[in-house]
Amino acid sequence: MALTGLEIYKQLPKKNCGECGVPTCLAFAMALASGKAALDTCPYVTAAAKEALDSASAPPIKAIKFGKDSVLGDENVLFRHDKTFYHPTTLLIRVSDALSDADVEAKVQEINGLEFDRVGLHYSIDGVAVVHESGDAARFEKVAGMVAAGTDKSLLLLSSDPAALKAALVPLASRKPLVGEATAENYEAMVNLAKENSVPVILKAEGLDALNDLAEKAQALGYKEFVLDPGSRKPVETLANLTHLRRLAIKKKFRPFGYPVVAYTSNPEPLDEIMEASVYVAKYASAIVLNTSTKAHILPLMTLRQNLYTDPQKPIQVEPKLHTVGDVNENSPFYITTNFSLTYYSVEGEVEATKIPSYILPIDTDGTSVLTAYAAGKFEPEKIAQAMEASGIADKVKHRNIIIPGYVAVISGKLGELTGWKVVVGPRESSGIISFAKSQLG
Amino acid sequence: MLIFGERINGMFTDIGNALRNKDPKPIQHWAVKQQEGGAHYLDVNSGPAIPTEERVEAYEWMVNVIQEVSDLPLVLDSTNYNAIEAGLKVCKRPAIINSCPAEQVKIERVFPMAIQYNAGVIGLTMDKKGIPKDSENRVAFAMELVAAADEYGLRMEDLFIDPLILPVNVAQEHAPEVLESLRQVKMLADPAPRTVLGLSNVSQKSPDRNLINRTYLAMAIACGLDAAIMDANDDDLVDVAATAQILLNKSIYADSYLKVFRSR
Repeated sequence: MALTGLEIYKQLPKKNCGECGVPTCLAFAMALASGKAALDTCPYVTAAAKEALDSASAPPIKAIKFGKDSVLGDENVLFRHDKTFYHPTTLLIRVSDALSDADVEAKVQEINGLEFDRVGLHYSIDGVAVVHESGDAARFEKVAGMVAAGTDKSLLLLSSDPAALKAALVPLASRKPLVGEATAENYEAMVNLAKENSVPVILKAEGLDALNDLAEKAQALGYKEFVLDPGSRKPVETLANLTHLRRLAIKKKFRPFGYPVVAYTSNPEPLDEIMEASVYVAKYASAIVLNTSTKAHILPLMTLRQNLYTDPQKPIQVEPKLHTVGDVNENSPFYITTNFSLTYYSVEGEVEATKIPSYILPIDTDGTSVLTAYAAGKFEPEKIAQAMEASGIADKVKHRNIIIPGYVAVISGKLGELTGWKVVVGPRESSGIISFAKSQLG
Repeated sequence: MLIFGERINGMFTDIGNALRNKDPKPIQHWAVKQQEGGAHYLDVNSGPAIPTEERVEAYEWMVNVIQEVSDLPLVLDSTNYNAIEAGLKVCKRPAIINSCPAEQVKIERVFPMAIQYNAGVIGLTMDKKGIPKDSENRVAFAMELVAAADEYGLRMEDLFIDPLILPVNVAQEHAPEVLESLRQVKMLADPAPRTVLGLSNVSQKSPDRNLINRTYLAMAIACGLDAAIMDANDDDLVDVAATAQILLNKSIYADSYLKVFRSR
């Protein structure tokens, strides 16, 4: 987004000297905002002001990439219905270096096994966070190496000791791990280490004021690959911090907070922990570090993530294959509809209420409703005939009746000719299916 | 879209007489009637009905009698800032000061007063020399008002920029310039200042005033108009405001949107 006149005006020297060719600084600010003037024509603008104006035109939250295709940040809205959320939360499972070798192996095995197939989609966990808790730098290096050898997922290396981190990071630098944590005490060594290895680094401070201070100091070292950690570990505080950070970055273009944010779960009970993580997925965390790695805990979280990061402008679709309602048999009626989820589920709900086991074939109309698809030429007899053929419905029922939506009664003749089936025109609204089924299918 | 009901103005005979006779009835009648029509604020203007030296007292009286029958917030409309201040002192809800041109002396009087009484300000895009013809100069004045708001700590949402519409029969070329000004004002600051028009001006002394008013209102809303001082009892006009709100996706659509718009 372009800068507003007021934002530019605040950075100008306010001398009203007219040397830029415009009588006042205010008028010059407006000329800049509308693109009619260049900042160079002002001889008194400071380097700091130039930098502020340059960076204000950058995206509100920087994209931070690490590991295996993990992208954090680069978001533009506070509510997904305003546009969409772009980069799904990166989920990492925590592995402590205080575990025994055998336990580390087992944990990595379990993490690798977190693969799910659901409603035609494949989910897998994004990465592993190796946490330095042993107090022994050599141990941290060894466990980091074991984890890296055991999985190709993205890595997060967490230690507050720059020397330990360096030892672990250098052999793994080609994997481009995310590292941390830079704090007020160690940030120079940490940020420089990250800079030398071209990896992003987590800046951690207690509270937003301290984080602001740390981010400004870290930026002054000439590096900008940062992920923020506002230090809170209680869900209520983390929620507030995540909201403030996102709001300030987007609404106020507050540059020190123009980075993605990492959240850590704190609840020891896995079910509570997943609830906590669900809040962070919904409320702007770009990465979450979890303790639990049980399939039953992770699947609902990944499903939520999938749902929240879908684009609300794009219609949600159901799989365009033959669906069944109830315990179907060779006499079950056969309905046609479209694969727009709203349409499909309206039909499915009503068909279910008829208590007659039935087949429903949603035709792939790119997720549009019956009338929209018909108007756009996506719900034509030829296409329906093909979909029926592909679905194998002919072998599943012994009758030869197709029930079509009442609004497209006009296609019945052609569809009958193409398929040789009898086309029954159903009700216009799915709410009419129950009485239709009673009178026609009894 | 906020409707500032324009009817309580001493330029109208009934209100003028009410002011002279200290008769609260006509004023209270219009307060209630405009609220029923869909007004969100009531503009209060003594006009020239009473002598200057009595205006301070008149504003205090008007605010009080209106507040007896209506809980709508008020827009205090006068060039006499002492009269406005007297009104602000008795306002129960945050009011709006109508108005302040882009002149340093007046800004220094009005903006601190707005902060003190938690009031909004209608800022006119003009100075002593008058109303500029083109949008560029209107926007330049708007920018001065925006900078003043920033300086005094007035929230941008409390600053209403009025780019000053003039009658289309004698100043036709102003109408498109005002539309362009409305668009550009929105780019001056983030959050942007709000915008307002004295809508009925556009149709002064023209036939079919209502048609001109509502056509221009729809055009102005599309350009970013947030509020209008207008006839809250012109149902067709209020319908336009409600419909524009729907077409700009500012209110969630319902079949009964016209009713919903009037009920809040």
